[in-house]
Amino acid sequence: MLVILGLTRRRLLTTRYTLGWLGVGALVALAAVTMPFVGRIGKLADITPTAVLLIISSLLLLAISIQLSISVSLLQERLRTTAEAHALLARRVSDLERHR
Amino acid sequence: MTNDVVVVVPAFDEEACIGEVVTAVRACGYRCVVVDDASADRTAQFAEQAGAVVIRLPINLGVGGALRAGFRFAVGTGAHTAVQVDADGQHPIEQIGALLRHLEDGGFDMVVGSRFAPGGAPPPQSTLRRAAIGVLSTTLRRRSGLRISDPTSGFRAIRDPLLSAFAGNFPHHYLGDTFEALLVAGRRGYRVAEVPVVMHARQGGQPSAGLPASVRAMLRALTVPFTGCSFDIPPRMQS
Repeated sequence: MLVILGLTRRRLLTTRYTLGWLGVGALVALAAVTMPFVGRIGKLADITPTAVLLIISSLLLLAISIQLSISVSLLQERLRTTAEAHALLARRVSDLERHR
Repeated sequence: MTNDVVVVVPAFDEEACIGEVVTAVRACGYRCVVVDDASADRTAQFAEQAGAVVIRLPINLGVGGALRAGFRFAVGTGAHTAVQVDADGQHPIEQIGALLRHLEDGGFDMVVGSRFAPGGAPPPQSTLRRAAIGVLSTTLRRRSGLRISDPTSGFRAIRDPLLSAFAGNFPHHYLGDTFEALLVAGRRGYRVAEVPVVMHARQGGQPSAGLPASVRAMLRALTVPFTGCSFDIPPRMQS
């Protein structure tokens, strides 16, 4: 959690992702506190508490990476549109400068 | 009339031939826009000297990205028809007129210059490549009804309303700009035809995709007709 806060302070992470990762940290802490409860769920499915946590955390990580892929795809499309618009404007500006 | 047509040349590190290509296009009397896809060499400089309007992309977007920028330029400057030509000198500039005539006479939205149609002639190519093109052609026919023998050809004439549709949305990955664009155009009711052309071998420079990239693009392209995961354009209004 300190690492996340440090990254945010150095502006390497935006608040949006900071909150997300802090949430993940809170979940991990919650899981540690409720270990006996987790153990009971494990017994229901006849697996160890560690395995229950592993399953939950892999699903969580999977969801996070899918969400990040969605973000990256969106950013890619936006970057592309911006780059095109930038190039077309640069063309018009240099044309205007030439005719001045 | 010629102001209505823009020849769009996407170029990435093509200083070896870009000058000749632009000169040939200008000699035919067409407006020529070279979209420099963030080249590291003197592509933009040579294209400008030869008389092209040059649009320099600040980052490399791939052929499709460069094309969409070119289409946007064409539409934004009042053109209703764009002709797409490769920067490596493979495409016979003198046959642009034939593409445009076919577009006009047949009332088509897009005309593709084909190496494999009767009367065309392919440059020397590997059997593997020809087989891949055959597979794409068959898939295209089955899934969109278009009969195009050379769906990877980048020598094409496109006019409104398809040009405006492509200016709005056009894929940027390899094979997306050729095969997928045809597939989507066919499915959306646009009229597409081909004319035979005789292409030259590449005049210089390096091909942009190696074998692994081509195989990946091929696999990706072949999943599109079945998953429907592609870009989309508005359906053609019946006139």
